[in-house]
Amino acid sequence: MKFSQTAQIPVAREPLWNFLMDVPKVAKSLPGVEAVTKIDETTYEGALTVRVGPIKLNLQGKIFLEERNKEAWRAALRAEAKDRMAAGAVNGKTTMNLKELGANQTELLVETDVNILGKIGEFGQPIIRKKADAMLKEFVDNIKKQLS
Amino acid sequence: MNKKIKFRVNGKKFEVEVPTNRLLIDCIRYDLGLTGTKEGCSVGVCGACTVLMDGDMISSCLTLAVMADGHDITTVEGLAKNGELNPVQKSFIQYGGFQCGICTPGQVVAATALLKENPRPSEDEIKDWMMGNLCRCTGYYKIIESIQKAHQFAK
Amino acid sequence: MIPFEYRTPKNLKEVHATLKEFGGDAKLIAGGTALVIMMKQRLVRPSCLVALRSVRGLNGIEIKDGGLSIGGLATHREVESSSLVRRRLPMLADTFHHVATIRVRNMATVGGGLAHADPNQDPPPSLIALGASVKATSASGSRVIPLDGFFKDYYETVLNPDEIITELFVPKMAPNTGAAYIKFLPRTADDYATVSAAAVLTLDKNRKNIADVRIALGSVGVTPIRATEAEAVLRGQPLKPEAFAEAGEKAKAMVDPVSDFRGSAAYKKDMAAVFVRRALEKALADIRQQARAKAAPKPPAKKKVVKKGRRK
Repeated sequence: MKFSQTAQIPVAREPLWNFLMDVPKVAKSLPGVEAVTKIDETTYEGALTVRVGPIKLNLQGKIFLEERNKEAWRAALRAEAKDRMAAGAVNGKTTMNLKELGANQTELLVETDVNILGKIGEFGQPIIRKKADAMLKEFVDNIKKQLS
Repeated sequence: MNKKIKFRVNGKKFEVEVPTNRLLIDCIRYDLGLTGTKEGCSVGVCGACTVLMDGDMISSCLTLAVMADGHDITTVEGLAKNGELNPVQKSFIQYGGFQCGICTPGQVVAATALLKENPRPSEDEIKDWMMGNLCRCTGYYKIIESIQKAHQFAK
Repeated sequence: MIPFEYRTPKNLKEVHATLKEFGGDAKLIAGGTALVIMMKQRLVRPSCLVALRSVRGLNGIEIKDGGLSIGGLATHREVESSSLVRRRLPMLADTFHHVATIRVRNMATVGGGLAHADPNQDPPPSLIALGASVKATSASGSRVIPLDGFFKDYYETVLNPDEIITELFVPKMAPNTGAAYIKFLPRTADDYATVSAAAVLTLDKNRKNIADVRIALGSVGVTPIRATEAEAVLRGQPLKPEAFAEAGEKAKAMVDPVSDFRGSAAYKKDMAAVFVRRALEKALADIRQQARAKAAPKPPAKKKVVKKGRRK
């Protein structure tokens, strides 16, 4: 499942880049993320709670900082998480591209590709799609808020 | 967590202790040994698990056993009286209303409930009522005919 | 299914007390047809189920203020079979009849279905078009919530976790009002709709102009959608043949269906326009049929055997 979100962030590219390199801060901008702990330079552990009505997922997993290309102003994070009660699992990759719009304006393009496996995946692709889209929008808004 | 439930199945009183997460179909089949009721889809769609609760059709695969506490359940085993098959069962045999038989318990229970409410249903009324009992073998023609002609066997 | 406690409160007071005892880990269960499936798949894992079936007195169907008052624990089957509902508001009986199979309808309750809030359900668009409301009761009191605005998101309503729907109220219809619910089922009859449309149309006393109209659609978004923009091009206007098609197009612009095995999003959008038009035409035919029936000499009354759902 592919998603794309764009936002105009009112800071220059450099400070936005530095923010994005702080993986726990970036991860916590996604609604429902709790407790992100560092394992090594490019690996983190985290938990994500997602609710769709009465259905609650407690995803636990790892976040890997896969790409860190400052010249091209591109970064990528990969995540693998499992639901604690084994209702399913989530694998995803997010690529973030920064485009300079002005001295204090950067366009942040977040492209995400997610695979939902197991019962939650069977249960309702349309629900998941809507939910993930809403979460990613909030993710980008949260980043914007933190840098405004 | 276990709960004691008291209910009637095919006219006989039972008192069983079941875990709260026991489904009615499993209670009927394993705790009571009445294996006539079948589980087809486990999501309430196919109708193979049809039983009557207080005369009304329900999906026993979607009902918790504890929900049957204090109620009257009728399964396919309860349709025949004193060894004599009921009119629906006789008609299904006469007119060939089944092939592999896996959906048949659900079909005859559902048809029995229909005829109790509407003794001479039209074809459309049969289709509307029986719509939730799926069959992979017969193409439904003989099921409908068996139900239409069941009145021939009524006393 | 993971293990859980099962409580059978005898009245609302006990229900509220049990909910308080278990807090957020308790789930109300009425008919259970939706909840048990989710529990079997471990998608919902309550530590306690609070059974509402043991609560008496909440499944009545009666006339109230000229409209229909239906208890929150009335089953779908009780509503579709009620001679009161069939006589006074056949569209409502018809809507409930369209839900799944008789087995589901024998267990699923009116309140439980609304609280479940699956946007593919049949009753919500009809109830929104009828201007219906629910009474939600908690330990701290009751409030009346119109169904237009009741649904927030997939499986989410404005209900607080401790609120129970105790009553559904469908107001009295104005004179010269027709109601229709059409469910587009290109697949099996027991399925959810690809698209569904409900229309309640009121003409003025000359039956030449549209005094009022309410249109709602199901299976076209994360909640049922009230097509206010379709209503706007009709309300107060003379009855024109092209008007319904135009309303259909306006409704199409308001919906946001998802592509799934019942149809692509583009197809569902096209069908939204078609079925809104057809629902309006059917509602108009209903008005004309009622007018004819009123004017016609009364035939001798026929005794009709109607089953009333039994609750023991």
